[in-house]
Amino acid sequence: MIETNNGKVYADKVQLAYASTLEIVSHAIIIVMALGFVLYVLQLLPLTVPVETVAANWHLNATKLQMKIHHHCGWSCFTDLQTFLHGDAISYASVIFLSMATLLCLSTAFIAFFREKNQIFAGITMLQVLVLLVAASGIFTSGH
Amino acid sequence: MPAAAAATGLVLMLLQAAPLFAAVPESGAGMAWWGWVLILFLFSFLLGIVAVLAGVGGGVLFVPIVSSFFPFHIDYVRGAGLLVALAGALSAGPPLLRKGMADLKLGLPMALVGSVSSIAGAMVGLAMPAKNVQLLLGIVILGITAVMLMSGKSGYPEVRESDPLSRLLGISGSYYEEFGKHEVSWKVHRTPIGLLLFFFIGFIGGMFGLGAGFANVPVFNLLMGVPLKVAVATSGLVLSINGSAAAWVYMFNGAVLPIIAVPAVGGMMLGSKIGAKLLPKVNTRTIRMIVITILALSGCRSLLKGFGI
Repeated sequence: MIETNNGKVYADKVQLAYASTLEIVSHAIIIVMALGFVLYVLQLLPLTVPVETVAANWHLNATKLQMKIHHHCGWSCFTDLQTFLHGDAISYASVIFLSMATLLCLSTAFIAFFREKNQIFAGITMLQVLVLLVAASGIFTSGH
Repeated sequence: MPAAAAATGLVLMLLQAAPLFAAVPESGAGMAWWGWVLILFLFSFLLGIVAVLAGVGGGVLFVPIVSSFFPFHIDYVRGAGLLVALAGALSAGPPLLRKGMADLKLGLPMALVGSVSSIAGAMVGLAMPAKNVQLLLGIVILGITAVMLMSGKSGYPEVRESDPLSRLLGISGSYYEEFGKHEVSWKVHRTPIGLLLFFFIGFIGGMFGLGAGFANVPVFNLLMGVPLKVAVATSGLVLSINGSAAAWVYMFNGAVLPIIAVPAVGGMMLGSKIGAKLLPKVNTRTIRMIVITILALSGCRSLLKGFGI
């Protein structure tokens, strides 16, 4: 629904496009996260790492936990179909989906700015998309 | 009053929980894993209600409290904190964008510099020993508490002349103020200083997994002259982008565990929706003071943990 006052619209086309994408994506995220978590904790699908093992080690820092139990990180849940068809992998994938939401919305905004021939904001949005893509590529890792 | 009950429940839960949590082994093995997950969900739900009523983001409350009172390593709490802030901002976004309150042209340049620094902050934060992070987190949280106590706010700041950069970028707008039934037009000044501060805020947010709305709003409102409602709404847009960038660093370092992140996100989102419904009916001033007290307590607890006490 577009917010108006006596017919006046307070958001431009780009904002409306961003808002529409965000609305669809945020509803999808809630559904995917809930389904993924149910599959995970109720163990309706096999797990790559038992939830009890994760819980027994969640006091360790991320580096030590990875070395000990090889929990999913980065894009590892999508390594192959067999890996993906596990409850913990699907739940982890739902978190990836959440992290991708902004990228999807920004891509919509970029197209809208580009169509409007707003070169400055098309450029800023493209740079922002690039920053998020670089972050999602896993180039920037750290650790203890 | 339900809101006061939620805030009181949160305080009581913390006070009751502190000695209990101190008595269990590091992994929390004294309780079944699902017990911790359930408590985390309920806790995040209460936090979601209180955070909305106090006008703060979820992450700023979530990280210091959960890292102080739950058996999870602070790496996973920070990872979940970023996702909590991100999810809250995403779910609140669509109506605010449509009303013209969250403004893309205002938020995008700030988010661009903030997201770069939030990645750097996340890398620095993950490379530091946990005790140092706890210590610095305690200092930052006590600093935030002081800012919340002292900073004023201005509903409709006066901007006589917009700065050249904001004119070049076309940063200005208007929205319909439903409370006063009038249209509010706005423009901004001091954009370059704002960009610099958003770089710093992004770094802190990424380092500690905080949403950083506590800092975004005063910079927009008090420094740049953005009306308060636009500042709050656009802050959510900025932190959703910054949080998304930093979250990837945490994910690639294995610092995101769905068993912690998903119930935290779910609880906070549900609580925020209840909080938004209660908002018109409660005395937010009282709630805000309770939250400031909770923040001060959790800041002190983080400091003590940082000192190994």
